[in-house]
Amino acid sequence: MSTTRHLVNRQRRLATVAAERAAAPARGTAAPDTALDAPAPDPSAKDTGTDDEAAQDEAGDDAGPAAAPEKNEPKGERPSRLRVRLPAVLCALTVLLGAFAAWAFASAGSLRDEPSRQNTALTDIGRTSEVKGQIADAVGAVFSYDYASPEKSEQAAGTHLVGKAVQQHKDMLAQVRAQGQKQKLVLTTTVTDSGVELLDGDRARLLIFADQSNTRTGKSDETTYAAAMFAVDAVRRGDTWRISAIDTFTR
Amino acid sequence: MARVRITRNPLMAAAVVLTVVAAGAAAWGGVSRYEAAHDESAAYAQARDDALAAGEQAVQNMNTLDHRKLAKGLDSWEDSTTGDLHQQLVDGRDAFVKQIQEAKTVSTARILSGAVTELDDRAGKAGVMVALRVTVTAPKGKPAVKESRMLGRLSRTSEGWKLSALGQAPVGNTAG
Repeated sequence: MSTTRHLVNRQRRLATVAAERAAAPARGTAAPDTALDAPAPDPSAKDTGTDDEAAQDEAGDDAGPAAAPEKNEPKGERPSRLRVRLPAVLCALTVLLGAFAAWAFASAGSLRDEPSRQNTALTDIGRTSEVKGQIADAVGAVFSYDYASPEKSEQAAGTHLVGKAVQQHKDMLAQVRAQGQKQKLVLTTTVTDSGVELLDGDRARLLIFADQSNTRTGKSDETTYAAAMFAVDAVRRGDTWRISAIDTFTR
Repeated sequence: MARVRITRNPLMAAAVVLTVVAAGAAAWGGVSRYEAAHDESAAYAQARDDALAAGEQAVQNMNTLDHRKLAKGLDSWEDSTTGDLHQQLVDGRDAFVKQIQEAKTVSTARILSGAVTELDDRAGKAGVMVALRVTVTAPKGKPAVKESRMLGRLSRTSEGWKLSALGQAPVGNTAG
């Protein structure tokens, strides 16, 4: 089809040129312009056309409208297709990006909330050594007793203990306090090892290994050593860590 | 021409704005997520927890032994250790087997608590302290229950953290 149309156009062009050549001397310089502008409908071209050519021309023109939409389609539809596609693309992009953003934030949040990250034992070096040092001193103070100055251990208990630990400590030292004066007891507790199991803001839990020496100063001095292990919960009040619970791992 | 039309359409403009906002959120979320995943202190915290879990398990293994399943028990001892400690166990295995077969004891251990005392993530070294309760059952008599304070050194190997040293916390040399 395009071949015939091509042929027709070529014939028309050739015809125009022939007509031009014929008309050129008479028409002057204006002729080529008009001829180039509208080659086919040029009346002068029709004169040279045969009947056959006219039939072909008609066939070509018939084919013309059918072929034209194909040729003209991109020009006519590009904006409208864009108009349909662009919002769809934007919507899809928005959904995809939004979904990614939601996933990323959720994932980042759950990563940050992991228990291992909530626990800043050792990762927060300053706090870790702070709580270790203060609790080691506190344990040494509250679990020491000297019959010569029993009020000291009570004072220590008042400064270093809070909450449940107050009663726990009272129960633990009840025997020592009851017999302390009579037996002239000197109990000294020294923390030998401590480790922070958990550190989360103002709360901490520490595992403590301590040595306890128990001296009875009477007729004959007698010192016994005991190994202690327990865990303490600590809370930070102001700048100081206090023991809030003592876990002796009793069954 | 088309562009002018798009921006004049309020719906289209809104869609473009939404997409840009979504892109911004996605970028922000991506950065946030990347930072969360590559947080150095988080990696350190993870190493700490891994070391503690491996340390507690290893200490428990080393305090568990059934004379009826000696080979299995001693294999788990050797699997839990590395370095000198591992070598000592391998070297002393035969003598130990004889000893336990005569004593016919069954030891079970329960971890009461444990903590990492130090951790060098780069060098792959860690220290742990573990409080545990060991029950030793002999053919005759009541099971003996004792509490044990263990201090262990861990080294990171290709198979994870393993004990390179283990001992009881010493008593009585600091107090008094």
